[in-house]
Amino acid sequence: MTKPSRLASTVYGLVGLSLFIGIWQLVGAYELAGLTWPRFTTVISYLAEPSRWGLFSRALQATLWAMGVGYIVGGIAGFSLAVLSAVFQPLRPMTDTTSAVIHAIPAIAIAPLLIILLGSSVAPAALSALNVFFIMYVSTVAGLSATTPAHRDVFRVLGSSRFQQLCRLELPNALSSIVTGLRLAAPASMIGAIIGEWFGAPRGVGLLIVSAMQNFQIPLLWSAIVLATLTSAAAYGLFGLLERVIHSRFS
Amino acid sequence: MVAALEDPTAGHVTIGDMPPSDLARRHRLGVAFQDHALLPWLTVRKNIELPFRIANRPVDDRYVDHLLDLVGLSDFDRARPKQLSGGMRQRASIARALVLQPDVLLLDEPFGALDQVTRRHLNIELQRIWSESKITTVLITHSVDEALFLSDRVVVLSGRPGRIVKVVPVPFGRPRTPTVMRDAVFHQLSDDLTESLEGYVGTAEA
Repeated sequence: MTKPSRLASTVYGLVGLSLFIGIWQLVGAYELAGLTWPRFTTVISYLAEPSRWGLFSRALQATLWAMGVGYIVGGIAGFSLAVLSAVFQPLRPMTDTTSAVIHAIPAIAIAPLLIILLGSSVAPAALSALNVFFIMYVSTVAGLSATTPAHRDVFRVLGSSRFQQLCRLELPNALSSIVTGLRLAAPASMIGAIIGEWFGAPRGVGLLIVSAMQNFQIPLLWSAIVLATLTSAAAYGLFGLLERVIHSRFS
Repeated sequence: MVAALEDPTAGHVTIGDMPPSDLARRHRLGVAFQDHALLPWLTVRKNIELPFRIANRPVDDRYVDHLLDLVGLSDFDRARPKQLSGGMRQRASIARALVLQPDVLLLDEPFGALDQVTRRHLNIELQRIWSESKITTVLITHSVDEALFLSDRVVVLSGRPGRIVKVVPVPFGRPRTPTVMRDAVFHQLSDDLTESLEGYVGTAEA
């Protein structure tokens, strides 16, 4: 089968999305899933009601802040550790294992710990950072070690130092992989932030979800989820654009 | 081993009176492989400038221009490798090997992946390059005609284990033109070498 054209994939994508929304609307309209499943249109009009924008924007700002901090801190940490392990090869098994163990801890399990340790206002950013850290570590390590033997031979014969090889060969070569990591890390940072907020952050989309659930405010609950999804998808799409630019330039 | 990429099992390699690794460290080796090994994110010009940057020397723009001209890529200096044909990439790779005016040029089947026409063309260009800058060159090739056309001395190696089968001096003067290939002596030497190869792999030294 040939790869569908760009227009065709856009059309298919839109058809899929419309189907999804259509089914959502039908299930809501005929109450097929009970009263806790509102119509798509109910949720959208709830979201679009200007009197609630203040509430949503305060929550979203808090979540975006946590995401941003987590993204930057986790990203820098993951990237730095990967570069460090590339420069000092003997460190590699150690950093690999450590990152894998950190990644293996379920976010939901470590969240209470972080809240006790750091306080509930910092926990969302910290969880977000943990999620981003692992993705950035793995994508940077993979990118740095993906150089071809021919390229390495050229650098060796030309008498390159280890540092020059890192700066002029390995890092530019890793850029595509790093940008892919950045894209994947965007939704991951949101998940981390929301789980962090879930456990009692002063505000945020996660808090909105919990309190809506506990107070049985069904449209609010769904609206918060839609908001979180849109934010996550937007971040993913934005980094997807960046990725396209980098990929065409660096490979 | 000459490129300091591998260590000899026994004995040692010296170039002048230095081991190859010292030459590499002093940025005095040039190398071009069968795989052009250009960096895909750099333009042709930046790729050719790379050895200067690795050697921490200021880029000699005029010499880079000269080399671009020599390998016929002046109009493509801002193109990226993937925009070039196989022959053009190989020429850029040879220009990169020459840019520091190395003591020894190592060419490891640089034309191996090219079609006959391009290969012939690059052989002739290599002659021209040598006529401008005389650089000791070790050329590894599978083509007997290429070895005879380009080199002063042909060293025939056996495959696995690699042993020197014979060393043949090439009598033709320089500069050589493709008419050499129609010489009776050329054909005689070519037949002799092919016979001594008997399925072995050949190496030539120029």
